[in-house]
Amino acid sequence: MRELLRHAWLIARKDLQLEFRSRTALASAFVFTALVLVIFEYGRDPTAVPTIDLAPSILWVTFSFAAMLGLNRAFQAELENQALDGLLLAPISRTSLFWGKFGANLVFVALVQIVGVLLFVLFFNVPVWRVWLPFLLVCALATIGFIAVGTLFSAMVVRTRFAELMLPVLLLPFLLPPLIAAVAITVKLFAGRPLSESAGWLRLLAGYDLAFVSLTTLLFPATVTE
Amino acid sequence: MPEGVAENGGYMIAAYIVTAVILLGYSVLLARRTRKSTSRRTDVQG
Amino acid sequence: MTLAQRGRWITLGALVLLAGIYVRALRFTPVELHQGPAQKIFYLHVPAAWSAMLSMGFVGLASILFLIMKDARLDRFAAASAEVGTTFCCVMLTTGPLWARPIWGTWWTWDARLTLTLMLFFLFIGYQVLRGAVTDSRLRANYAAVVGICGLILLPFIHLSVYLFRTLHPLPIVLKPSAPSLPASMLVTLLLSFGVFTLLYVGFVMQRYALGETGDA
Repeated sequence: MRELLRHAWLIARKDLQLEFRSRTALASAFVFTALVLVIFEYGRDPTAVPTIDLAPSILWVTFSFAAMLGLNRAFQAELENQALDGLLLAPISRTSLFWGKFGANLVFVALVQIVGVLLFVLFFNVPVWRVWLPFLLVCALATIGFIAVGTLFSAMVVRTRFAELMLPVLLLPFLLPPLIAAVAITVKLFAGRPLSESAGWLRLLAGYDLAFVSLTTLLFPATVTE
Repeated sequence: MPEGVAENGGYMIAAYIVTAVILLGYSVLLARRTRKSTSRRTDVQG
Repeated sequence: MTLAQRGRWITLGALVLLAGIYVRALRFTPVELHQGPAQKIFYLHVPAAWSAMLSMGFVGLASILFLIMKDARLDRFAAASAEVGTTFCCVMLTTGPLWARPIWGTWWTWDARLTLTLMLFFLFIGYQVLRGAVTDSRLRANYAAVVGICGLILLPFIHLSVYLFRTLHPLPIVLKPSAPSLPASMLVTLLLSFGVFTLLYVGFVMQRYALGETGDA
């Protein structure tokens, strides 16, 4: 188990180092996030709809698109340099490879989310800091869920034609439960309701994460068998 | 039909027609694809 | 008789029986008092939903078995079931709004069932698009199986999430679309329709599977 985590960490670290050196995907994700928030800010009529009603949806739409950007590049680097074969020959288990990728994707998306929330608070003036801990929990739970599935699918689509188009098409149904739950809980949090009122949603998120992190870990080896 | 029942028969007819079109259409599609593939096979073998 | 021929006969038989259902539903089943004639869409919509769910269930099951046993026939069966499931989804997605409009006053609502249908449709489409985009047959089978299994596990979560959402934000529903207890003649029509749609599933899948055998899919 320790070996597995160590290898996963190596993979994740390699990916993140690569990303920080080039910074292309991070930069485009940040720019995209800012762009979406600005568009929503200027697109809404401040007298018609109170921000607080729109805010959670806007936030989560932004997060999911940014996540998609990150996922697309997850296996891109390996594919371009045939490095995937090298990775598969290396004495690390498929599971470590998956968890490494998964971890790197999570870090990537988490960074984009942090910047996104900061911009969000700036533009929409929503009191996130009051509920920052439960909000963090919701973000983490929801993100873990769809990034797990996204990592698995990106491993597959990277070898297909139209990869960038394929990923959103495949991923869409899988985004629905975590996003609905995340938006529902966020709405309650921003409205000042206690977290206990969202117990059902939290159970759904936890269940989804449990089911899909296990399932994707189990299924990943099937996608890289030669 | 008794008085007071909604006059929405048009939707029912539309739904029944659309369903028939889809199911018949798919049946025909399958039959044609099968014929095309068997004829191709006999061409190759013959 | 080859598989394809048998499938064609079964399909033909099912279509004839479907015509019988049409007659029975339209002519010999009473009109529902509150919903009017549009309620009869129920006899097509619900069995189509059943067939679509059945299709997805078999895609998932065949996918699991394929990853364990590596038998290409299971992959072929999954592909067949997915395509057939898409057809039944189309029936659901057309009859659904046609039923919703007169009953609920709107073509679409994000209620649990309709949303589940739409997501099921996307799953089937995604599954088949993925199959079409991979040229190597072994890779394609593996990839398809992965998506198939994930899709199956996803369905209860979609249902639960939309159901939770809707119960907290109830729709202004004018009329309830499905009565919990049906009078006998309506129940019989429904059950017969279930049978016919199941038979259609079998016939369609047999033909589509046979197509897969010749290497056309």
